[in-house]
Amino acid sequence: MKLSPPQWLMRFRSVIGLVAICILAVVFSPRAFDGSIIFLDVSNLTDVLRQQAEIGIIALAMTLVIISGGIDLSVGSLLAFSASLTAMLLVKWAPGYSPAAHMAAAVGIAFAASAVLGAVNGGVISRLGIQPFIMTLATMIGIRGLTRWMTDNSNIDFGFGSDTPARFTTIFSDKILVIGLWVAAAVVFYVLLEYTVFGRYIRAVGENERAAGYTGLPIRRVKAAVYTLCGLAAGVAGVLHAARAHQGNPNDGVAYELDAIAAVVIGGTSLAGGKGSILSTVVGTLIMGILTNVLRLRLIDSNGELMIKAVIIVVAVWMQSARKDKA
Amino acid sequence: MLECKDLRKHYAGVYALKGVDFCVQPGEVHALCGENGAGKSTLAKILAGVVTPDEGTVFMDGQPIVLGHPTRARRLGIGIVFQELDLFEHLTVAENMMLGNDGPAWVRRGAMDAFCRPYLRKVGLDISPRALLGDIGIAAAQLVAIARSLSMQAKVLLLDEPTSSLTEEAAERLLALVLQLKQAGTGIAYVSHKMKEIFQIADRVTVLRDGELVSNKPAAETSIEETIRLMVGRAVDLSARIESQPRQEVAFSVRGLCSSRLKEVSFSVRRGEVLGIAGLVGSGRSSLGETLFGLHRWDKGEAACGNRKFHPRHPREAIREGFAYLPEDRRSQGLFLHTSVRHNASSAVLNRLSRAGFVMQGEERRIVADELAQTRTKAAADTLPVSALSGGNQQKVLLAKWLLPHPEVLFLDDPTRGVDVGAKADFYGIIEGLASQGKAIVMASSELLELLRCTHRIMVMNNGRVAGILDTASATQEQIMALAAGHQPAASLS
Amino acid sequence: MKSIKLIVQQLAALLAIAGLASCGKSPNSTGESPQHLVIFSQCNNAEPYRAAQNAEMKELWDAHPDVKLVIMDAQQDNSKQISQIETAIRQKPSLLIVAPNERAPLTQVMGEAMAANIPVICLERDIAEPNYTTWIRADNRAIGKMVGDYVVDRLKAKYGDVKGKIVELAGLKGVEAETNRREGANDVWKQYPGIVIATDVVADWLQSKAKDRMTEVLSALPQIDVVYGRNDPMAVGAYLAAKEKNREKEMIFVGIDGLSGESGGLEKVKDGVLAATFIYPLCVDKAVEIGDQILRDPKFVPEKVYTMPSKMVTAANVDQVLQATK
Repeated sequence: MKLSPPQWLMRFRSVIGLVAICILAVVFSPRAFDGSIIFLDVSNLTDVLRQQAEIGIIALAMTLVIISGGIDLSVGSLLAFSASLTAMLLVKWAPGYSPAAHMAAAVGIAFAASAVLGAVNGGVISRLGIQPFIMTLATMIGIRGLTRWMTDNSNIDFGFGSDTPARFTTIFSDKILVIGLWVAAAVVFYVLLEYTVFGRYIRAVGENERAAGYTGLPIRRVKAAVYTLCGLAAGVAGVLHAARAHQGNPNDGVAYELDAIAAVVIGGTSLAGGKGSILSTVVGTLIMGILTNVLRLRLIDSNGELMIKAVIIVVAVWMQSARKDKA
Repeated sequence: MLECKDLRKHYAGVYALKGVDFCVQPGEVHALCGENGAGKSTLAKILAGVVTPDEGTVFMDGQPIVLGHPTRARRLGIGIVFQELDLFEHLTVAENMMLGNDGPAWVRRGAMDAFCRPYLRKVGLDISPRALLGDIGIAAAQLVAIARSLSMQAKVLLLDEPTSSLTEEAAERLLALVLQLKQAGTGIAYVSHKMKEIFQIADRVTVLRDGELVSNKPAAETSIEETIRLMVGRAVDLSARIESQPRQEVAFSVRGLCSSRLKEVSFSVRRGEVLGIAGLVGSGRSSLGETLFGLHRWDKGEAACGNRKFHPRHPREAIREGFAYLPEDRRSQGLFLHTSVRHNASSAVLNRLSRAGFVMQGEERRIVADELAQTRTKAAADTLPVSALSGGNQQKVLLAKWLLPHPEVLFLDDPTRGVDVGAKADFYGIIEGLASQGKAIVMASSELLELLRCTHRIMVMNNGRVAGILDTASATQEQIMALAAGHQPAASLS
Repeated sequence: MKSIKLIVQQLAALLAIAGLASCGKSPNSTGESPQHLVIFSQCNNAEPYRAAQNAEMKELWDAHPDVKLVIMDAQQDNSKQISQIETAIRQKPSLLIVAPNERAPLTQVMGEAMAANIPVICLERDIAEPNYTTWIRADNRAIGKMVGDYVVDRLKAKYGDVKGKIVELAGLKGVEAETNRREGANDVWKQYPGIVIATDVVADWLQSKAKDRMTEVLSALPQIDVVYGRNDPMAVGAYLAAKEKNREKEMIFVGIDGLSGESGGLEKVKDGVLAATFIYPLCVDKAVEIGDQILRDPKFVPEKVYTMPSKMVTAANVDQVLQATK
């Protein structure tokens, strides 16, 4: 049966949104003195990609969590935790390794610790049946407290010389590495969701948990795994954040979870679970990034920026739901 | 008084109705027959205001009306009881009945109960209005849906497969209720597959096939055979019996099983045998299946599959041991409606279809296509969401899903509920085929005729215990009914 | 078909919103419009000191009609300020003035601005490396010392000897002002064994946080002599906390900033809430002066650092100072 024209349009609806925003961005972008379009400047575009990379990575894992029918509010605090831990391990810990080993160890420990905290979320949610919203709200608060206590509520700055911490910031804030990491993560998550058994299970559990139970699927393991992955993603984002901010700051990352969720939702994934894709999340992240970029290029007040973002989120969600029901 | 002319409706390129006329007179029962996909439910939904037709007009008492919204229909006195119920499991019976009933702004429990009780009694339900809908079972829930329509003082009642989840006794009560309503002047459109029922109560019979009106005759001028022939376009034999014989070897046995709902259940099934399970609402049939599948705990009793001890703590283990359970409600328990047919079919065997965690897509496609062909499932493409299929085909997908793990023992819970005559015949054929391959099949059903048609023996349950086991060849419907109701019949085998 | 109509409707909605969004300022220059774009990246409009900076910045640049001034607010968020400055760089402004939120995080991006050949004025707070054309600062350490000396005098007057309990309220830890104001004062107090720094709580420069922190401190300490808030709002917040517990007469409150206006430190000295405040120059007048020179004379090379003077204000001279600011 041939699909009538609107249907293939539906499949790639999120990309259409992205194309539309890009066109608008080019149209409304201010022009430099030589007439070139500032938005299309390579450094500007790569800026946008780099700025969105942290949220982008978190949003990828958040997609899996949301498809499985849950949500993770603790990612912002996890990011701060990971950033602070990385800073502490690089600045305050002197194990006498070579710089490369020291960096690898610090980064590796930060990843592992974040994944463990994510696993705590996953374990409690899958075994004790506590609603994801409530549990991750609790860990959002708890991990923030843990991070502040761990750093004695102070920032840990990296230096600017040539010692290990400084080198860390140079390497991990490099545009190509950061963007490459985001792309790599997107590919990994895409393959995970579309081509593995795990991905199928996530969709099943999110769409109809009861039927998943009757099918004999390992529901608990699936849930525990998605939250662990989310923790890991936040950990990775945290390391990148520390490098870019040049410090470990226990008070950073506030409201990042909302940005990540917004990216997922704008892309077209439903918060009800069962549906969604990595492509749509990447598109959602890009749409948010481009929108912010154009607003800032046009020097719009940051408060105005927030209000316009809010409207865009509502319109985007409306577009997704309306399309689904028609046809 | 409620009439429609030349209705047309299509969904995503599929034509559900191609110019259908239909009408319901006051005090008349007008039956609407057709296979799944023929357009009966669509027609009923249009008349109830749930779906808008692409073309055509609906008239009420001679005036053309536009039913944009179910509320409009309700206000005009049109009530509908859906096949797939639109009730809420986490609300009480009374709350469900009050939904859609314009009432006072404040909720008063006492007033609600008083309002609901007479209607509940009318449909023969003896439950408290404060019971949670999710707890009373699907058959009782269907009766609640009917009670709700009655409470809205409908002048025209559209019943879409109302007895699909009811036992024979409850169905009889419903038919009596329908006749009562007819005498009181209500016009009733009765959508159903059950020929016996239709010819018991209908004044007129309309047959739809593939969205077109095929015939509209007074019941007296037609017959079951003719109706079926018109529906299906071919002759179907309903009086057959199962032919293959069971083997000697015992495939599955249960002794003294006790759980929260079951009391001392014991039975055994041989390879190649079909054991039917009969029982009224609440008899524990589904509970038995779910418990054996590993969904509920059991504290006492033993089971064996083949010659291995069988006591799964999780459905995964049951599947591994070769036991498969087809749940009663395919929408909420069996299928993932928005997921494709292919992914649904493979959902229970993904671990076998994968290497290093990656799904072998090619193999999956092949295996699923084979199984779907075996079960004669009709789907335009197996990448379509399973919700796009008719009820009968959905059920076939469910069956295919549970055949793929190659189980030795299959427990089918009401496998032909909401399935049309043509597909039912397919199912019976498949079940017999499985039996002749040596599988052991346990089939729970509310339709006694079906049990008599398909099984070698029938185990009757009552209140969580086994009331008796009858040999199908010599069993009568009365015997089964008696055991199910808790009486001791004249002759029985255990 | 319905669905296509719906898509068109929704795209139209999107366009409408984008149209609204385009009602922002566009920094293009054509004909009559300004020829110089000056971007000021402010770290946090919410602080009164910074609001005063913004006001003076606007007032002074208004005098130059060929200059277009844009102020960005990073709302005390490092990441936001970094990305705002990145965007600013894309605008290719004639001058970039930055009041950095914290030292380390902002260093790299200001270096990027310099590398893009944009003159950068670092305002008041500093960064980890000298990635700026010039830094206009006040001497926080000297101010801290003034505070230290003043407190020593007051304690001597109270007890006949230099001893007493001091509660300090700190601003954001990563900021130079915070460090120097603390050390300037502490250097003085270190010499007197009788002085005890009872506690040093963090209130992020904000009055509300200071009030909360002070409430806890008051419960913990039965006797306090001096409250040193490293900016006026924090000192005032502490005063309000003490007033709630009827202990405000027990101690003196000292702050820094000395802004004019209703809620400024000067008024608080006049009202008797603050025993003393120390004027912390906004640094804006110098910034505009140097900035303007940079715009007019491409060959002008400013000094690397300019230091602005401060002044102590107590009940004795507050009226005089207020007169001067009018």
